[in-house]
Amino acid sequence: MSFTVRFRQGMKAAIPIWIAFAPSSVAWGIAAQRHGLSLEEIILMSAWVYSGPAQFAVLGPLAENKSSLQVLVAGFLMNLRFLPMSTALAPFFRGVKRLPLLLASHVVSASSFIVPYLQFQKERDGTTRAPLAAPPDGYSNLAFFLGVGMTSFVVWVTGSAVGFGLALGFPADFDEALRFILPGYFAGLLVVEMKGLAMALICLGSLMAALPGALASQEWGWLIMAIGIATLGWGIEQWKLRAAKSS
Amino acid sequence: MMGLMAFAMRALPQVFLAGRKFPDALDRWLRYVSYGLICSIISVTLFMSGARLETDAAPRRALALTVAVIIAHRTKSAVTGMIVGALLVLVLSWLQ
Repeated sequence: MSFTVRFRQGMKAAIPIWIAFAPSSVAWGIAAQRHGLSLEEIILMSAWVYSGPAQFAVLGPLAENKSSLQVLVAGFLMNLRFLPMSTALAPFFRGVKRLPLLLASHVVSASSFIVPYLQFQKERDGTTRAPLAAPPDGYSNLAFFLGVGMTSFVVWVTGSAVGFGLALGFPADFDEALRFILPGYFAGLLVVEMKGLAMALICLGSLMAALPGALASQEWGWLIMAIGIATLGWGIEQWKLRAAKSS
Repeated sequence: MMGLMAFAMRALPQVFLAGRKFPDALDRWLRYVSYGLICSIISVTLFMSGARLETDAAPRRALALTVAVIIAHRTKSAVTGMIVGALLVLVLSWLQ
């Protein structure tokens, strides 16, 4: 199958991602404008960082001129999640040269990971059931991935710029609602994607502990609290798993 | 710099970890830390202004957040929850 056909397949599969990205990227553009970022900064950040949660995480620290180390740590921790996603995709790009892989990896996001990953799994399972069918090679998979990832990337960057334009037209009376957009959206995303009691407890604990943490240390308190609670929850879960195995 | 780190997180596995699987425990820890951070940020963004807790606005924002979460959970749509929460907090701020 040609690169173009496979790329188009990816584009079609990405349509739901575009629909999901449009409001969130516009919301980020609005929030970024309200936090004092210029249009150029918004477009550059969306294109270069291309990570909704990380971009959201650093808006406050950036607007308040907090230490660049804090901004970097927040961004780094938010972007750690790309490691397992990118790792899971890697085996499907066998035979692809390093340069195209490096360039393509920039458009890995939660959404552009899930759609190609499930598609590749499905195709691999189909090949196992019908051994005569040739499995798609690494470049074919890369074309599908780029069809999903590149088009979603364009929607994200364009949406951020549109959001900047929209924010300029909003009167100050709407500040309260504009301030709510991203935290409300991410809370909604968490609830929709959340699985298991441990995750819910960690979220609730982090939500509540962030405030005393931030009051104690405005720069690091919330960050340390979140890592501490997540590690505590993870530790208890590991301990219970080991106990269950040994009994 | 932040963009470079984001790129490194995406690109390094393609170069060094191709074909390997992450240990399940580490995968879980990464996921929990990410979720914890997102919740912390939601809390600080909604209820703090610099080093100050916004006590006047906190009750209406907490109510709007709760409603947004319930709506998102029921409709399985984060956007619907966010829109309802934003409208609610707006109306409550006008009423005050």
